[in-house]
Amino acid sequence: MATNVIMPALELAQETGKLLRWIKAPGDAVRKGEPIAEIETDKVTMELEAPASGILSAVTAREGDVIPVGHTIAQIASAAEAPTRTPAGKAPGGEVSSGGAADARPKASPLARKIAEEHGVDLTRVKTASGKIEKADVLAYVESQRVVATPANGGAGHLVAASPKARRLAAERGIDLRALKGSGPGGAVLVMDLPLVGVPAGTVAAPVTQPTPVTQPASRKGEGGGVGTVWRIMAERMTASWTSAPHFYLVREVNVTRLVAWLATARKQTGAHVTYTDLLVKLVAATLVQHPRVNVSWKDGALERHPDVNVGLAVALEDGLVVPVLHRADTLGLAELVTRREDLVARAQAGKLRPADIQGGVFTISNLGMYGVDAFSAIVNPPQAAILAVGRVTDRVVPLDGQPAVQPTMVLTLSCDHRALDGARGAQFLGALADLIEEPLALLL
Amino acid sequence: MAERELTYGEAVKEAIAEEMRRDPRVFLIGEDVAEAGHPFKTLVGLVQEFGTERVIDTPISEPGYAGIGVGAAMTGMRPVVDVMFGDFITLTMDQMVNQAAKAHYMSGGKIKVPIVFRTTLGATRRSAAQHSQSLHAWVSHVPGLKVALPSGPYEAKGLMKTAIRDDSPVVIFEDKMMYRVKGPVPEGDYTIPFGVAEVKRAGKDVTIVATSSMVPVSLGAAKLLEEVGISAEVIDPRTTWPLDKQALIDSAKKTSRALVVDEGYERYGVTAEIASVIAEGAFYHLDAPVRRMGAMDVPVPFSPVLEDLTVPSEKTVFEAARALCRK
Repeated sequence: MATNVIMPALELAQETGKLLRWIKAPGDAVRKGEPIAEIETDKVTMELEAPASGILSAVTAREGDVIPVGHTIAQIASAAEAPTRTPAGKAPGGEVSSGGAADARPKASPLARKIAEEHGVDLTRVKTASGKIEKADVLAYVESQRVVATPANGGAGHLVAASPKARRLAAERGIDLRALKGSGPGGAVLVMDLPLVGVPAGTVAAPVTQPTPVTQPASRKGEGGGVGTVWRIMAERMTASWTSAPHFYLVREVNVTRLVAWLATARKQTGAHVTYTDLLVKLVAATLVQHPRVNVSWKDGALERHPDVNVGLAVALEDGLVVPVLHRADTLGLAELVTRREDLVARAQAGKLRPADIQGGVFTISNLGMYGVDAFSAIVNPPQAAILAVGRVTDRVVPLDGQPAVQPTMVLTLSCDHRALDGARGAQFLGALADLIEEPLALLL
Repeated sequence: MAERELTYGEAVKEAIAEEMRRDPRVFLIGEDVAEAGHPFKTLVGLVQEFGTERVIDTPISEPGYAGIGVGAAMTGMRPVVDVMFGDFITLTMDQMVNQAAKAHYMSGGKIKVPIVFRTTLGATRRSAAQHSQSLHAWVSHVPGLKVALPSGPYEAKGLMKTAIRDDSPVVIFEDKMMYRVKGPVPEGDYTIPFGVAEVKRAGKDVTIVATSSMVPVSLGAAKLLEEVGISAEVIDPRTTWPLDKQALIDSAKKTSRALVVDEGYERYGVTAEIASVIAEGAFYHLDAPVRRMGAMDVPVPFSPVLEDLTVPSEKTVFEAARALCRK
């Protein structure tokens, strides 16, 4: 029996997913657990794994389609059901001599060999991509043979998956369930899949007797206002934050003479391309450890305190904004921090972030200094309590011992959710951070 | 006349006081029910009105006073036996299950046991594993016992009065977290019949069967569901026995989907029984499997964070109902 491949929901609030790329083509043999497509969900790209072993078929989703979660996008037919690319007459494993000479023993793990023996499987008939046979390969082979062994009388006796109500209505109306495409779990026919009788017109889309994909055309950047998933999520989250979190802002100019010196030393010592952002992550993490009261979220009418110091970095992409997270940044040495930051940013730009990469952030740093921005006010990244907006490092006139002097400074703006923080707490945090930036040696204390 | 509001606790006390005035055979017995007015302060003032002969403090011996209650009921009194925490019914089980529930049957109808055990259910009071359970499924299992679960002040008074007037043993579980919740409670005499469910909120997309503490939770979830375009019907059976099976089945037939929410442990629980009633009675009208939500299969944790996770909340009920509707 064919297994449906559905658009999975990887997060609670996710409603649709975008099919980026088919890794396998229709007619390809796939193994359960093997990646068959790439899908883009809320800010991340995931590989979709085959839910069963067999032949990829009935592919209805095209690359670029946005598909509601739970909808079937393809099927995995058992080897017996679907035509394959294997040329007719050439049985799988045909290149292996059927003589079964001892020296032609296929490579197989001991466990695979044992299971094959138990099921009476001839290992020379089990073919794998790598040439080495493992337990899963044998089981998949057994499964495919089992299907073949059942009488091929059109599946008579096998109940079509359907909800009890759909089954009753279909019987009452004389509808053949086998002619329908189900939208329920495992392709089960639900009431909404039945052709409409006596239901007001216009309440449901066209009858679904044919496998028509429920999709929208792929949006293209810059064309007709269509946006990608990342942009849409950014829009939703920022609107949610702006309309629900009362913001206030604390602005402070800090002297970065010592920070500039530290950057030069750090680059020399680590050999890595250390950035101001890396130094700021380290200093922010250290300050959060000193001020755990800032490491909180406002949730369901109460403060939720976070045990770990996970610092997010706002990363601009071609089509939106993502915030990958440096988990437990307070425990990372500078070199390791740089490595991780480079990895996260690279994968963010390649659209290869995993859900874990963007989860668990407690505080975000957004640096627009490289664009020459002096200062800006950022929107808090929910459910976090605060975000630090970092302006450029530039020479400014500052008082020094009663005289004007020219020194490098930077303007920091801390945006806070007033439900989670108040002005005094925010100011204490920003003050402590400013002190550390002006004298990073205090890290050693 | 403007609707009068009472707290759930006041409604319980008013029901008991009115019944004690009406019928001299009614008396109250248990731990700390007299001068202390009960640890939840639900009985304050009763001993002053009715005296220590009818509001009787006992030593800490649940099997002892439960037995006294059963004996008194057999000999013509109508006791209200207070079992402070529902967790303690484990100690009164023999008196409830083997004595009170069986006497009428085994005496060929010669003996009646018109006793009320009033006790509590409900977690999230930070009372830890031995004082937070909702064990109403235990007694709902036993033929010969009736079980009432008031879900608000109005029900607290009406169901208590029905319980006291019933000639069978009744166990009434009050939600200890709801004692301070206010709601309209009519003055004077009224009763709520056992075995009659109430539709708390009409809807057409999904039926949420909720008991006791889970009624307000489910009504909150129904509001959230409304915001996403799902019309939820919330129905309160009010008694787990007798159970208004037909009302539950009819509601599920109407909406094609059912979610059963109860604060007792999920496994082998009230939700299982009700889900089975619906699955059998409304099978050919269901468009999705019947879902149920109860307390997690763990001892109730003392940690507030963990404790809150173990019982259904507006959010989790909302999410489960939404998933059922595939929206």
